[in-house]
Amino acid sequence: MAIPVIWLGTSMTWYIIFMGPIDPATRLLSEGQVRNPAAYEAAQTQLGLNQPPLQHYVDWLSSLIVFDLGRTWLLYQGSSVNALIMDFLPRTLWLGFWSVLIAIFIGVPLGFYAGMRSNTVADYVASMGGIVWRAMPNFWLGIMLLAVLGSSQAIFGFSWEAIGPNLTSGISGNPDLSYMAGNPIAFFTNPNATLQAIKKVAPAAIVLGSASMGNEMRIGRTAVLEVKNQDYVELAKVKGVSDRALVYKHILRNALVPLVPIITSEAFLLIGGSVLVESVFGINGIGYLFFQAAIQGDLPLVGTLMYVFILMIVGINLIQDVLYTLIDPRVGLEGE
Amino acid sequence: MSDTLLEVENLRTVFHTDKETIHAVDGVSFDVQRGETVGLVGESGSGKSVTARSVLGLVEEPGVIEEGSIEFCGDELVGGNWDEHRGDIAIVFQDPMNSLNPVYTVGNQIKEALRIHQGLRGQAATDAAIELLEDVGIPDAARRVSEYPHQFSGGMRQRAVIAIALACDPDLLVCDEPTTALDVTIQAQILELLDELQREEDLGVLFITHDMGVIEETTDRVNVMYAGEFVESAPVEELFDDPKHPYTKGLLASIPGRTAGGDRLPTIEGEVPTSTSEPTECRFAPRCPHAFDACDEVHPERIAVGDPDADHETACLLYDDEFEESPPEDGVVADGGETA
Repeated sequence: MAIPVIWLGTSMTWYIIFMGPIDPATRLLSEGQVRNPAAYEAAQTQLGLNQPPLQHYVDWLSSLIVFDLGRTWLLYQGSSVNALIMDFLPRTLWLGFWSVLIAIFIGVPLGFYAGMRSNTVADYVASMGGIVWRAMPNFWLGIMLLAVLGSSQAIFGFSWEAIGPNLTSGISGNPDLSYMAGNPIAFFTNPNATLQAIKKVAPAAIVLGSASMGNEMRIGRTAVLEVKNQDYVELAKVKGVSDRALVYKHILRNALVPLVPIITSEAFLLIGGSVLVESVFGINGIGYLFFQAAIQGDLPLVGTLMYVFILMIVGINLIQDVLYTLIDPRVGLEGE
Repeated sequence: MSDTLLEVENLRTVFHTDKETIHAVDGVSFDVQRGETVGLVGESGSGKSVTARSVLGLVEEPGVIEEGSIEFCGDELVGGNWDEHRGDIAIVFQDPMNSLNPVYTVGNQIKEALRIHQGLRGQAATDAAIELLEDVGIPDAARRVSEYPHQFSGGMRQRAVIAIALACDPDLLVCDEPTTALDVTIQAQILELLDELQREEDLGVLFITHDMGVIEETTDRVNVMYAGEFVESAPVEELFDDPKHPYTKGLLASIPGRTAGGDRLPTIEGEVPTSTSEPTECRFAPRCPHAFDACDEVHPERIAVGDPDADHETACLLYDDEFEESPPEDGVVADGGETA
């Protein structure tokens, strides 16, 4: 299934960009140059638009497949798109990784806890908090968080910058990931740099993960409530299974099943959300790059980034299917 | 009749909701002897399952056991002492599709009980689990033991649930409509299996059903439940030969094939009421073909009726000497309810 989806997605992207109402060539040229036939012709040739559409389509698609992504036109003019993506993508992955982690490790346990203790004060506090948290739009939350952290000395009496690892370049901006380049094990071997990079990205990750966190909390709570009253849980209780084993063995694993698609579908949201959050926090990630490419009209770059996003989404879907088969034996791999 | 397993005395289980308090089980008393099968029969909503759940300690908020005692082998259970007797009372639920945890193998779930109650681990537990599956009549048990519940059919699952119950080495088995969700041929097999196991292990069984036919086949003693109360209790032959309460008569008359002729099957009009307050009247009166004035004003107490040796009781004013109305002639059964 993955291959046709990738093909269809990229084909639609190509159609919209190169066959759509916007002429990519004119976007590359300044006002004066558009009226210059020679310059216009040159731009068309550069983009390959003078070829027959089918030929252009096949060329474009085959170069994507071998990851020959060409060069940019407007943004960082003339630099290799491959290098650009390799430069920008790790920051987005770093941000996405921590925001998914925050959502999973705070949202899910909180939801499970609220479900186990349904209709108690703890449940009301957690549920209320989840709804409020979820209701805050992330661009607003991002600005607020930056403002509060920026003047944390005056508000809380201690400085955000002073606790933990020292940040040399202010509370927002790019996390420094260069220490891991070509050597991912440095994540563990160089804890100081890792902590610095985490602290740098933490506010952005909290903002990006907040909506998912609230969502996962609510779904987790409902899932636990549903499983808790199943006959098999009661049968296990009658069997004499201890309360602890009842929760961990019989309830939680079943409650995880409906959470898998929620968590993975939120990973999609992170791709969209990162465009906003990366802009607010000044992180040069792939979302920011996409945003810049779109508003400046670098359509070939937009198309290439679309291809990268499609690959990521299909990849996440594959991970979801694998997770399903691990958690729920009723889902078999043969049926796909 | 000295070996009493379970003794329930004046059990009252209520559910407190925002609007009202529902008296699901309202002053019920019965006991179960070792080797005996006691039936609980009644329509949907009469409180049968809540009685079973009360006995097992599965009543949860907003429900609460408000009054009464449940003694198991002489130990009082009400007040949260179920943990000490976990495994001594086992249950077979109505819906086998839902009784097994879908994410663990059947063997895993049997072994869990074996570990808790018989201290078996590893290969010994696996062997014991296979043996249990064979005992409950699952073919090819050695392979089946490592399969998941969704690979089992309904009847097989119910057998697996019974195997789990047996793994706990129980004294009392509560069967909450164990055959309702199964088709008739499987139903007969499961009933036969339960009967066999009961004799082998000398179990006490509390058998809950709405099927009078099943009651007649399986039980020694029957309690007829209506709106949270027992309206009639008797040994099974006595109840079927000489029913006293109009409700019991109605239930018996509505068994297909029992009444002669090709007429429409008699039914009992109406539904079981939800008891929201202490009764001041007979709860069956609105549906009763023999109700008279006093039925709306006096709550009937249980009185001995029928064969003096049979321990036959019913709660109906027709049999109370204080009131003038007398029971209808036998054979004139549920004459008000024959319009189906």
